[in-house]
Amino acid sequence: MTRLLRVTPSGAAGLAFAAFAFLAIPLLAGKLWLSVFTSTACFAMACSGVAFMYARLGMVSLTQVGLMGVGGWVMLRLNHAYALPFEINLIVAGLVTMVFGWLLALPALRLRGLYLALVTLMAAGGLEIIFATFQFPNGGEGFWGVKTGSAGAFRRPALAQSAEAYFRYTVALVTAGFLLIEFHRRLKPGRAWALIRRSEAAAMSAGVNVTLYKTWAFGIAGLLAGVSGAMLAGSLGLLDDATFRASESIMLFALAVVGGARYWLGVVIAATLYRILPALLNNWGVDADLSFVIFGAGLLHAVITAPDGIAGQLGDLLRRVVRRPSKDTPEDRPKDAPA
Amino acid sequence: MTEIANVTVRFGGVVALNDVSASFTQPVSGIIGPNGAGKTTLMNVLSGFVRVTSGSVSQDGTDFLRLAPHRRARWGLRRSFQREEIAGDLTVFDNVLVQADNAPGGDRAAEVSEMLAHVGLADRADKMGRDLNSFERRLTDIAKCMVGTPRLIMFDEPGGGLSVDETKQLGALILSIRDKTGAQVLVIDHDVELIRAICSETLVLDFGRRIAFGPTADVLADPKVKAAYLGTEEVTP
Ligand SMILES: Nc1ncnc2c1ncn2[C@@H]1O[C@H](COP(=O)(O)OP(=O)(O)O)[C@@H](O)[C@H]1O
Ligand SMILES: [Mg+2]
Repeated sequence: MTRLLRVTPSGAAGLAFAAFAFLAIPLLAGKLWLSVFTSTACFAMACSGVAFMYARLGMVSLTQVGLMGVGGWVMLRLNHAYALPFEINLIVAGLVTMVFGWLLALPALRLRGLYLALVTLMAAGGLEIIFATFQFPNGGEGFWGVKTGSAGAFRRPALAQSAEAYFRYTVALVTAGFLLIEFHRRLKPGRAWALIRRSEAAAMSAGVNVTLYKTWAFGIAGLLAGVSGAMLAGSLGLLDDATFRASESIMLFALAVVGGARYWLGVVIAATLYRILPALLNNWGVDADLSFVIFGAGLLHAVITAPDGIAGQLGDLLRRVVRRPSKDTPEDRPKDAPA
Repeated sequence: MTEIANVTVRFGGVVALNDVSASFTQPVSGIIGPNGAGKTTLMNVLSGFVRVTSGSVSQDGTDFLRLAPHRRARWGLRRSFQREEIAGDLTVFDNVLVQADNAPGGDRAAEVSEMLAHVGLADRADKMGRDLNSFERRLTDIAKCMVGTPRLIMFDEPGGGLSVDETKQLGALILSIRDKTGAQVLVIDHDVELIRAICSETLVLDFGRRIAFGPTADVLADPKVKAAYLGTEEVTP
C-alpha cells in the first residue's frame, strides 16, 4: 500500500503542475486560448495512452487519434439521442472505445515492431475513411445522426457549464488518467509489462499471461483515447473529421517520442507541441505547416541523440544541477514518472 | 521425477534432438554436451517454446506438452535463460515478485524477501535491474526461480561468465534448492566442472543424440563422452 501511494519527486512535480493548470490557467487565459488549452489537455490524455504503450511495453500504436474520434462520435451520438447526463455519456464513450482498443489488440497479439505499427496505422486509415464518409453526429436523424445546417445543442456537465469550469474538469480527468497508468505501473500489471518488454519468453516463463496483459494495455490506451475524444467533443460541441486523420495519430506518437514517452512531462510537452505550437505560429502570422519541419527536426534529434526525449534531457540537466551523490535510489530518477 | 521419452525436434533439415530419452530422479541433475548439442532446445521443449516433432515429456506424471508456457510456470516450472532476462526498469524485488505474482501462494512479499535473503541479495532488493552486475543478475534469477512453490527448476548455463569463486557459491545455492523449496533441479552446462560438483546424475547430448546417461562420475568416465569433448577447450578430466 505504501508502495502504491508513495509520491516520487517527479510525481510531486506532476501533481503541482496539474494544480497550477487547474487554478491558474483559467484566470490567465482568454476565451480563445482557454479552448486551445482544453484541447491540449484532451490530447495529453490520449497521448499518455500511446506513450505508456511505447515506454512500458515497446508497442507502437498509430491509431490513438482515430480512437479519440470513436470516443467523440459516441459522445455526440448519445448527447443528441438521449437526455442522459454528460458523465454517463462519458463513461459509455470510454468503454466503447476500450472495446475498440481490444479489437485492435487481436492482430497485435501476433505481431510486433513494424508490423504492429502498420496494422494499427491501417486501422487508423479505416477510421479516417468512416469519419470522412459519415461525419460526426450533430443532432440529425438515423444511426449516423447527421443533418445539414446548424448543430444541435451540446449539454456540458452540470459541474462544468462555463469554459473555465470545463477546462478544470478536463484537467482533473487528465490527472486521473495519468494516475490510472501510474497505479497500474506500480502493481502486478506494471511488473508484467516490464518483463514483457524485456522478453516475452522470460515473461511467459514467469507465468505472465502475455496475451492478457497486452490486451489490457490496449484497453487502457483505448479508454484514455475514448474519454479524451469525448471531452474534446464537449469542449467544441461538434467534431470535424479532419481532426482524426491517420496522419494525426502518427504525429501524436512521434511527438510522444520527441517529448519523452516515459515521463508525464514528456506527454505534456508532446501535447503542447501538437496543439499549442501551431496555434502560436498562426498567431504570429507564420504558416502553421512550419510546425511539421520543427517536429521532424525534433524527431531526428530524439532518435539520434535523446532516446528519452526532451523530458529525459531536462531530467538529466536537473540532476546535474541538484546533485545528490550520496543517494542512488530509484527515487532520484524521474523514470518513476507516470506514463 | 522428470520423464523425457523419445523426444525428437527438427528445425527444417536440422535434427536438434534425435530420439532422446532420460528419466531424472535426483534432486539435482545435469545435462551437458558441446555447443550446439541440443541442450537449450531440450529446455525450450520443457518450457513450451519449441514443439516436439515426436515424443513426450512429463513431470511426476503430469503431461507437460499440453500446457501453454505461462500455465507451465503456474504449475511450478521455472527456468533461467542463457542470457539472463532481468527487467532493467524493475527493482530486484519486483523482478522476483513477477514470478510470485503469477503463482498460487499466500504472502508473496514475504516469500520474495525470504528468497532474496537466501541468495544473499537482501540488501540489494531495491536496486534497479539495470544497475546489477552479472553475478547479482544470476542470483536474482535463482531467487526468482525459487518463489511460488516451484516443482521443476531448469538453469541454462548458470555458470557462464562467472569467476571460480562465484561459480562455487552458485553451486552451493543450487544444491540448497531442494531442501528450501522441494523442487527438482536440472542444470545445463557445457562446462563439466559445475556439473561434476553438484549433479548426481547427468545426461550427455552430442549432435542431438543421447550418448550417455547415469551417475555423473560414471558418465564423465565414459570414453564416448571424452571423445565428444575431445579437441574442445572445455576438456578437463
Ligand atoms: N529456433 C531454431 N531454429 C533453427 N535451428 C535451431 C533453433 N534453435 C536451435 N537450433 C539448432 O539446433 C541445434 C541445437 O541448438 P541448442 O539447443 O541451442 O544447442 P546448445 O544449447 O546445446 O548449445 C543447433 O544446431 C542450433 O543451430
Ligand atoms: Mg545453449
